[in-house]
Amino acid sequence: MTTLWLIPLFPLLSATLLVLSAGRMPRQLAALLGAGSVGLSAICVALVARTYLADGQVQELTLWTWMAVDNFTPRIAFYIDGLTVVMMSVITGVGFLIHLYSIEFLWDDESFCRYFAYMNLFVAAMLLLVMADNLLLLYLGWEGVGACSYLLVGFWYRDPDNGAAARKAFVVTRVGDTAMFLGLLLLYTELGTLDIQPLMAAANSQWQVGDTLPILATALLLGGAVGKSAQLPLHTWLPDAMAGPTPVSALIHAATMVTAGVYLIARNYELFLLAPPTLAAVAWIGLATLLLAGFTALAQHDIKRILAYSTISQIGYMFLALGVGAFASGIFHLMTHAFFKALLFLAAGAVIHCLHHEHNIFRMGGLRRRLPVVFWSFLIGSAALAALPFTSGFYSKDAILLSAWTLPGIGPWLWAGGLLGALLTGIYSFRLVFIVFFGEAHTEPDQQPGWRMSGALIVLCVLSLVGGWFALPLAGVLPDKDHAHVSHAVEFISIGTPLLGLLIAYLLFLGRQVSIASLAESPWGKALQDFWYSGWRIDKLYDALLVQPFKCLAHWWRNEPVDLFYNALVALSRWAHGRLITLQTGELRWYATSLVFGLVLLLAIMLRNAS
Amino acid sequence: MTVADFQALSPLLVLAGGATVLMLQIAFVRSVSLTAALTVLTMALAALSCVHAAQIAPLQVTPLLQADSFALLFCVLFCIGGAATALLSQDYIRHHGDEPEEYFLLLMLSTLGACVLAYAVHVASLLLGLELLSVSLYALIAYPNKSILPLEAAAKYLVLSGAASATALFGFALLYAATGTLEFTALGQQLDNTQMGQSVLLVGAAMVFTGLGFKLSLVPFHLWTPDVYDGAPAPITGFLASVAKAAVFVALLRLFLDADLFRYRILVEITGFLAILSMLAGNLLALLQTNIKRMLAYSSIAHIGYLMIIFMACITSDNRNLASEAAAYYLVAYTATTIAAFGLLTLICAHQVERENVELHHISGLFWRQPLLGGLMLVAMLSLAGIPLTAGFVAKFYIFNAAVSGHNWVLLATLILGSGIGIYYYLRVVYYMTRRLEQHHVQPTVVVSWHAKALSCILIAGILLLGTMPQSLMAYLRSIL
Repeated sequence: MTTLWLIPLFPLLSATLLVLSAGRMPRQLAALLGAGSVGLSAICVALVARTYLADGQVQELTLWTWMAVDNFTPRIAFYIDGLTVVMMSVITGVGFLIHLYSIEFLWDDESFCRYFAYMNLFVAAMLLLVMADNLLLLYLGWEGVGACSYLLVGFWYRDPDNGAAARKAFVVTRVGDTAMFLGLLLLYTELGTLDIQPLMAAANSQWQVGDTLPILATALLLGGAVGKSAQLPLHTWLPDAMAGPTPVSALIHAATMVTAGVYLIARNYELFLLAPPTLAAVAWIGLATLLLAGFTALAQHDIKRILAYSTISQIGYMFLALGVGAFASGIFHLMTHAFFKALLFLAAGAVIHCLHHEHNIFRMGGLRRRLPVVFWSFLIGSAALAALPFTSGFYSKDAILLSAWTLPGIGPWLWAGGLLGALLTGIYSFRLVFIVFFGEAHTEPDQQPGWRMSGALIVLCVLSLVGGWFALPLAGVLPDKDHAHVSHAVEFISIGTPLLGLLIAYLLFLGRQVSIASLAESPWGKALQDFWYSGWRIDKLYDALLVQPFKCLAHWWRNEPVDLFYNALVALSRWAHGRLITLQTGELRWYATSLVFGLVLLLAIMLRNAS
Repeated sequence: MTVADFQALSPLLVLAGGATVLMLQIAFVRSVSLTAALTVLTMALAALSCVHAAQIAPLQVTPLLQADSFALLFCVLFCIGGAATALLSQDYIRHHGDEPEEYFLLLMLSTLGACVLAYAVHVASLLLGLELLSVSLYALIAYPNKSILPLEAAAKYLVLSGAASATALFGFALLYAATGTLEFTALGQQLDNTQMGQSVLLVGAAMVFTGLGFKLSLVPFHLWTPDVYDGAPAPITGFLASVAKAAVFVALLRLFLDADLFRYRILVEITGFLAILSMLAGNLLALLQTNIKRMLAYSSIAHIGYLMIIFMACITSDNRNLASEAAAYYLVAYTATTIAAFGLLTLICAHQVERENVELHHISGLFWRQPLLGGLMLVAMLSLAGIPLTAGFVAKFYIFNAAVSGHNWVLLATLILGSGIGIYYYLRVVYYMTRRLEQHHVQPTVVVSWHAKALSCILIAGILLLGTMPQSLMAYLRSIL
């Protein structure tokens, strides 16, 4: 109970110390602080989780009320239920492993302290986001992780491209955040509170299923979730965000921050249940995103971009789960995805680290024997990603697909789409494995990963394998779909599809039974490949639809009327300053005169008023 | 006088006794450190005795003074402000004055004057407190004798402040002639039954207002402010801007509340009118200042303008508690912030006798050279600008709230406009502080004593705490009002 407040405090304190050291802290100490603080948080989370698993009691803790003016009483308060416990465990557990890994990965970087300061700040903000008992505090964490993401994507800021990627990530998510903030304002005006539990109660009592207001409010919240979780149409920032260091991609852009949107919807699921159209939109957005990202991942060359599109696609599955009402399955997939995607990113980071920062998969190859630990990690991660039977991803993805199937009406369509996505996942993930680790070598590794990197990889391997057997404490916290009575044919198809994907990948990229080159050389193949490689030209589309018109407008309106007003305000202020300052002559007699003048003025006002 | 009476007056008695002890000490041993230590000790004792006095509050002692929680709260504030000023002054006055010991004696007396103002429920005690405060300040302003500027400032302040006091005195005399009483409450009751014409009352009120408005440097009585602030030694400017103004404001607020002057719409409207003028003129005048002291002088005019909104908000009587709460919070926040800002100026020019003012470029890159001092100024500027998580934000929010519930839309609009202009010149200081400089432009590092460092830390922590956890102070204010 009392350890709750320590959980976000450790990383926050460590971040403060690291910032105050201004980069002068010795590396050993910075590493100890950076990883140790997250480790301490993880221990506290474990204690809290043990208590929760034992008695199932929701824990609440109000630290203090920021201010109380009339009815507006924003509190710094935590609310811990099963959902929060799962999220906290993922954040601190996976977070600790990634911090450990980072020590080795960034040891030679000159900004070692800065890196850990940002990372710890991120962990603190993310914990705040999931622990908050009211939406305002959640929003603070939400913006906090956004800011940290910006800082970490642009971590190597000397390359202007990285700065541009960071800006893009920030601006695109900002669009969603604005929608979300409007949603919060709407909820506050309509229901008079932002505390999540009273808010849900008020919504349930004041609104009917299908009313306009809950639809509008949830649509605005969905806007925030779509931006943060990189779903259509706001997904374009995530592939570019790979400009940051690889452990950052593992922690922020795979395991935790990008799943915040999923958390937001799950946390407010009662609100979403009042708005069936929004829920349907969630499902369709998820489906469209997972297919689009799946196709795009097929055509990429950059190892991290493939993983980025894969992340977008997997979060699409989570959205699909939320949309069909299988909230617990969505969170289950969130957790298993955190394990195997963090594993994949860290393994990819190890490859990049050992191959002098090589990102292009076609210049890798044959690494199976040269980097065995990394190979096995990558293999296990890909198996879980493709949902091969008995890996963690299998259980969570299967639950999602079957839940989609049971939805009356659109259910089978969603199921079929999800199945196609699963096929694509199988193909692109094993394409990556076969090209990078099999075949002939193009680049020789110059070093082997050390114990910190290997250790983190091995623990994540185990988690990716057995993570599907964890029973999440979500019963009674989140509703789920019952899919025990689905026919066996559907189940077999769901299980078989990823294996089919694996087979296709084998035929295309390893066995060479079908020549991928001739496919790609044909005019249609080439056009399709280019189309997918560019991410369905969505970046170009946005550039043409939004960025260019905006720039044009900005150019035309360089001296716009609105600006004229503000410029006039500035000029007026300057002019008024100039006039007023002439009164400050420094002459005593004038000052005394002004006293008399003021008195006369007051008298005049008063006497005129009296008469 | 009973024991309870003495207990109620104990803060004043401690300060007066401390002044006597100090005088004796100076007569026998001349030592700046000892005098400063004694001063701080006395003020701390006086602040502690307020807690003691609060046990029997409210209690009226003689018709002149009333010890209630409101008065005691401000006594604590003034004593802390005085102690902080004394701590900051030590190095400064040692380098700028020849015989620095009496400086602390005068500081103690002016703090006593401020406390008397907080206690005053009678015109006589109000004037006594006011003069005790002002006369000590004349001498304090002129104290550094190695430069001509302080003398000029003191002379200007002496003449103008004297004239203002005389005007206020004349005004009170007229009110006395009309009502036959000098007690605030009785004065309020007699106003309606007076035999003399209404014009006498109006003239009296206008003159009182002029006198007190001058001390608060409301526009159009503000012209002296930048010259005096600029010439006065930096710690005294801080004291003048914070404690002295807060004391006059408290006395004025109490006069209005006790005599219920809010019934007279025209009086309140005049305060609103002057508030608007002050907010606008103060911010506009500060806009392009490069001399930080003058900039802060103009900013203090604007801040008093913000505070005067309270009077308009008090028109509806059910809004009065919220408004007094807001005023008290604002004064606490503003005092802490102002002392922090001037504290920095004090520390920067403590060892440089030849430097008479601090220009913006003198603090260029301060943040990188001396993070503690930079942090102090940063927090002070953000708080003055009213940026969230600082004391200034909560204070401004409070005023805002009071104005909203009093429906004072014009004042509110001016407040927003003024704050907007203010952000420009406050953040410009931050901009200068965080610039990275070429080696040859770098200003010398200043030596800061350990107690000044400790005080800076306390001020930073205090301003941030008031901004992040204002609830405890708010709850306390609510309980005593």
